[in-house]
Amino acid sequence: MGYVAVTAGEELVERAEQLFESQRVGDTEDVSVDQIDEQLSRLTARAMGEGGLYAPRLAALAVKQAQGDTVEAAFLLRAYRSTLERFDESVTVDPSAMIASRRVSPAFKDVPGGQILGATRDYTQRLLDFDLVGGSPEDPTAEWDLTDEGDPDRLTNVTELLREEGLLHDPDEPDVDDPADTTRESVTHPAERDEVLQELARGETGAVTALGYSTLRGYGRVHPTLAEVRVGELPVRVEHPYTGDDVTVTHTNVTESEAVVPVYEKRDDPQFAFGYGLTFGRNERKAIGMTVLDASIQLESEEAPAENAEFVLDTIDGMDSFGFIEHLKLPHYVTFQSILDRIRAIRERRGLSEDRRVGPDDQSAETPVSGTSDDD
Amino acid sequence: MADPHDRADRFELIAACEAETLGRFANDVLADDPPLSVRQEPRPQLVMQQVREPVERRSFNLGEVLVTPAEVTLDGARGFAIVPGKNERAALSGAIVDAAVAGGHETTADIVEALEDIDASRREQRRRAWAESKHTTVDFQTVEGEQ
Repeated sequence: MGYVAVTAGEELVERAEQLFESQRVGDTEDVSVDQIDEQLSRLTARAMGEGGLYAPRLAALAVKQAQGDTVEAAFLLRAYRSTLERFDESVTVDPSAMIASRRVSPAFKDVPGGQILGATRDYTQRLLDFDLVGGSPEDPTAEWDLTDEGDPDRLTNVTELLREEGLLHDPDEPDVDDPADTTRESVTHPAERDEVLQELARGETGAVTALGYSTLRGYGRVHPTLAEVRVGELPVRVEHPYTGDDVTVTHTNVTESEAVVPVYEKRDDPQFAFGYGLTFGRNERKAIGMTVLDASIQLESEEAPAENAEFVLDTIDGMDSFGFIEHLKLPHYVTFQSILDRIRAIRERRGLSEDRRVGPDDQSAETPVSGTSDDD
Repeated sequence: MADPHDRADRFELIAACEAETLGRFANDVLADDPPLSVRQEPRPQLVMQQVREPVERRSFNLGEVLVTPAEVTLDGARGFAIVPGKNERAALSGAIVDAAVAGGHETTADIVEALEDIDASRREQRRRAWAESKHTTVDFQTVEGEQ
């Protein structure tokens, strides 16, 4: 593998970038970062989750700069993040500390704490709302007659309920307080569970969804029942340098998903296996996909793509796939010239004429041209 | 109720405070030109958020959170603040406000009142959001014998 540099007029590259920027500017009113932050939070959620950086306002800026391309926005966030120092690791927080704004349990109808639908269109038809064309400034909740529910309850995780019934095995390993950090050390296989979860949390939404979907379509053995899906705020707590107290700096908006998977053949005592998903922002599709993949990877099999940790972790990162796929459009002149030379040489040896016919005596079997290249 | 005189509570209230409010109080504190030294320049940094997943109860790194910390000494009193996001001015202002209250600056009463208001406002917002969510609580009914 080798790279061959090409040069081009810097001014022309700048012109191309200016033309790209002019397409964002257009003839309409500029979209503010605040508007993107408030009104297009699903985009910023994707950028933050895939970028591995929780920074809502900068994510909105990145989405604006990337003209809505969330992977590009995540790339911008990761590039920015790479220039910063680490202040500290947070105090480890349990997901049960989440202040939930939405929690549904497809598995347990009467889940303690209730089925809180929260803000969702899950149960309504997907029809275009043409009223939005002219703007819709009215808040449909403005006239709600709310009951004072007091301070938010901490909702018990369904896993804990199952564990109380003995349906979920107790952890085999002691708690690991110093998890691996895949932003600092590359994953080696077999990957540890903390590495898997961190990489899945940073995975590209489409890739995580597609690979999770693959097992539901039969390319794997996991077809889970979701124990719960919840959206809410997790505290970010650090140790105060003066007092030593754990103090809350801020909260991150996150999406969490847990799935139960009946695993009868793996253990003597029939219990549930579990899949888990947690990611920055409101991104239920990704959290559920992550849950399916976590459960699949625990099967430690190579029979299906989703059950192969190495395959999954090597393909879900948006920056990696972005880079490799998109680099194909950059100059590959040496590669292509090499391929051309080989094909021409083979054709010449075979006696192929310009009208593409093989000569009558040609019986040679040449090795076909492979897809390898010299500059990528 | 959070107590702005308590260092840990004050840290959380300052972190939740609007940048403009912190800036205004910091300007008031600095109006008489008290001796100020910046021990830690406000600079965006990262906190890695660690979560203990509920299945194996293992910690893992969810992702990094952008914050801006700052630390000062104001007239002999130390002040420290971290604000979420990239906000150097708010972080430095927050550290000055923290030091002012720690050192009993003459603006302390106003600062404490403002921080108490923030606490009340934050609690009210949280209760309102919770009430809105609870307003959507549903009791799913299973329908037996129907296709």
